[in-house]
Amino acid sequence: MRSLRILAAMFKETISGLKRGGWSNWLVISILTIALFIFGGLLQTTMVIKSMVTSWGSQLEISAYLKDGHDPQKVARIISQLPNVQIVEIVPKEVAWAEMQHNYKVAALNNPLPNTLHIKLTNLAAVETTAEKLKTISTIEHIRYPLKVARNLNRFRQFIEIAGIVVTAALSAATLIVIGNTVHLVIQSKQREIEILSLTGVSPWYIKGPFILQGALYGTVSATLAAIFIWTLHLYIDPYVHDQLLSFLPLSNHSMDVGLLPTFIIVLILGIAVGSGGSAWTSGRYIKI
Amino acid sequence: MIRLQNVYKEYTGKPALIDVNLHIGLGEFAFLTGPSGAGKSTLMRLLYREETPNKGIVTIGGVNITRLSPRQVPLLRRRLGIVFQDFKLLPKQSVFDNVAYVLRALGVDEKDVKRRVSSALAIVGLEEEQLELPENLSGGEQQRVGIARAIVNGPPVLLADEPTGNLDPQTSMEIVQLLERISQRGTTVLISTHDVPIVNAMRKRVISLKQGQVVSDVDSGVYEIETTR
Ligand SMILES: Nc1ncnc2c1ncn2[C@@H]1O[C@H](COP(=O)(O)OP(=O)(O)OP(=O)(O)O)[C@@H](O)[C@H]1O
Ligand SMILES: [Mg+2]
Repeated sequence: MRSLRILAAMFKETISGLKRGGWSNWLVISILTIALFIFGGLLQTTMVIKSMVTSWGSQLEISAYLKDGHDPQKVARIISQLPNVQIVEIVPKEVAWAEMQHNYKVAALNNPLPNTLHIKLTNLAAVETTAEKLKTISTIEHIRYPLKVARNLNRFRQFIEIAGIVVTAALSAATLIVIGNTVHLVIQSKQREIEILSLTGVSPWYIKGPFILQGALYGTVSATLAAIFIWTLHLYIDPYVHDQLLSFLPLSNHSMDVGLLPTFIIVLILGIAVGSGGSAWTSGRYIKI
Repeated sequence: MIRLQNVYKEYTGKPALIDVNLHIGLGEFAFLTGPSGAGKSTLMRLLYREETPNKGIVTIGGVNITRLSPRQVPLLRRRLGIVFQDFKLLPKQSVFDNVAYVLRALGVDEKDVKRRVSSALAIVGLEEEQLELPENLSGGEQQRVGIARAIVNGPPVLLADEPTGNLDPQTSMEIVQLLERISQRGTTVLISTHDVPIVNAMRKRVISLKQGQVVSDVDSGVYEIETTR
């Protein structure tokens, strides 16, 4: 009860501090929102890629696209002789084209698709060696297999991770400075009050508390905004990614919402940490008892 | 209640208090006088731990306050009532809220806050003005608010550094009489002042400082105006 009353009293001070912050509140919130948005976006992207990598990396399938004018039956027979091959499924180009026209309402052009073989293997270790062998078959135009895509994606993810860390660190530093300045201004405008409170025996943490709460509030608002933006972005981007990119890969559709909730939680924690950390540091520096 | 032992305090090499020894007992009422620059405010600041001495010991209620950690300083100040020359009221808060501030910061429940603030305001005679802002009050009334704030926690010691410095003689007298009434309730009161008529009228203990040294200390005394030599 007692600590609740103290918290309520502190919160009142926080509101009065926010009022004094004026436009700089919005500056802080904008910058922090941008930082959290970029951080959250990158974080979630890496989570999606990670889950793609795991699910694709364990698929025992190779797709082989044949050169025009070769009998898929014949090629399939050759391939089924290779070791570790379980089944070879033939997708004639007519079937693939009909399906695509049905799914995506593409214009009635000449069928541009090749005959395709889906080769299922018995174990993961055989994927790479079989792929190498398939490449030497002259009737095959090119091959694709999830493991390879997964490898490339993984490299891409590592790049995003490093970029994410650098960008987030830079933006967090910028945010800390802006929060520091804002809180410093409020502290200056309350200098006399702070002196009075200190002289009348109000404890330093009670004096600093409202500033730290103020920072935490910045973090919460910014994290919420960033989460809304990430969410909105998903609504626009997901259908596009599914239609334009994933459908051309020989892969089952993969959800783009992976890790959305953990991302929001981490963004919130980071937002509150940066917000309250920045103001704690500033108030520690400028409020002396 | 208040004890200074061989206290020496300097500001960047310039001594402000030199070998001060002093004892003020429980419930005592004393004036601290002396010309400008004598070290009155410095002594007060040592007592509420705004400063620490370079040498010597300051104890309040048996506690050596020169050894307090920063976390303990607020605890000390809550046990002291401090009254300032410039009142130090929060300008945007009502009389009531000014007096209530520390209690609320300590999480005292609003019913107790109301009871204690009302009783402090009653003692200083400001029940009617509790909703006013400080700027709408006279200097004397503002100082009463400062005194109400100082006593709201029921401190054993009340320190007032030139509490009448910004007030006219009539009001000054009333303020000092108010402080004297408070001391009669058992509070140790130390007032620094160079207001000769008031000191002389009160006939209380007078401790005189000059150039950082205690030059006289008499019970029921008067202000010594450069009489020696
Ligand atoms: N913060 C400070 N820094 C440096 N010197 C100071 C400081 N405070 C006081 N002094 C010096 O210490 C000496 C004592 O000052 P103090 O303020 O204690 O005197 P005082 O008796 O309160 O005077 P007054 O009647 O003018 O208030 C003076 O010489 C003053 O210049
Ligand atoms: Mg002084």
